[in-house]
Amino acid sequence: MDIAGKLMEELESKTSFTIPLFGGIPVSSSVTVTWGIMLILMILTLIFVRNLKMVPDKPQIVLETIVGFIYNFFTDILGEHGKRYIPYLGTVLIYLACSNLTGLFGITPPTKDLNVTAALAIMSIILIEYSGIHSKGGKGYFKSFAEPMVLMTPINILELFIRPLSLCMRLFGNILGGFVVMELLKLIVPAVIPVPFSFYFDIFDGLIQAYVFVFLTSLFMQEKME
Amino acid sequence: MTALIAIGAGIAVMTGIGAGIGIGIATSKATESIARQPEASANINKALLLGCALAEATAIYGFVIGLLIILFLK
Repeated sequence: MDIAGKLMEELESKTSFTIPLFGGIPVSSSVTVTWGIMLILMILTLIFVRNLKMVPDKPQIVLETIVGFIYNFFTDILGEHGKRYIPYLGTVLIYLACSNLTGLFGITPPTKDLNVTAALAIMSIILIEYSGIHSKGGKGYFKSFAEPMVLMTPINILELFIRPLSLCMRLFGNILGGFVVMELLKLIVPAVIPVPFSFYFDIFDGLIQAYVFVFLTSLFMQEKME
Repeated sequence: MTALIAIGAGIAVMTGIGAGIGIGIATSKATESIARQPEASANINKALLLGCALAEATAIYGFVIGLLIILFLK
């Protein structure tokens, strides 16, 4: 029972501190970790974007490769007219990749908190629907619910709720599953053995899930825009 | 009661069987088609990843349900 108790303790999303306003607003640890990730990314951006040259030097080549990869990846899916959404999708990709990798440093990843993934999924579905409205206009957008035939309308409306739910649960479940397995392993064998598993659950699975999240979002957007 | 809860959680996680079979079939077909047409591997990889993500979602639902059973049925 000792292991179960310890595991339950790890699973709770903790509050790191409380803002003494309106009788205390609790700030959960996922928010503080997110602030940390934001800070690091901001500083890195400011450092790397200074002194850009026509003939790039070494750090600029790496930067251009990453940005070029992100742009090519999304342009392939969204097409030319979807270029305006790339900055948001790229930001989510970088944020998710960073937050899934925090498990490597012994920090609980923010994506282990259901609230974080739910917020990201809601933002995604709003963007998906907005992209549909933007490219088709209001009338065309509402008409698209009755496609390919009128009989499909309830299913199309149901999709509005299923898509964010599945996006949110997929990310949350994967990260939580990896987290539970890693914690169990660490409780049983504290040394050496967890290392290869950490490579799989923290690095490979985290990056794949970040990729899948933005990939599915952009795929749904492309479907709405057509 | 605890034993019943454990059995329930175990049954919920059986959704993994379907996901495992699905991902296995998808991967075997993908390797076959890459062997036949190596130049199309980028497109095949993309389709494979999408299929795997969708198939894996069922396993994840089972896992989440199992976790909810353990956490909330005490």
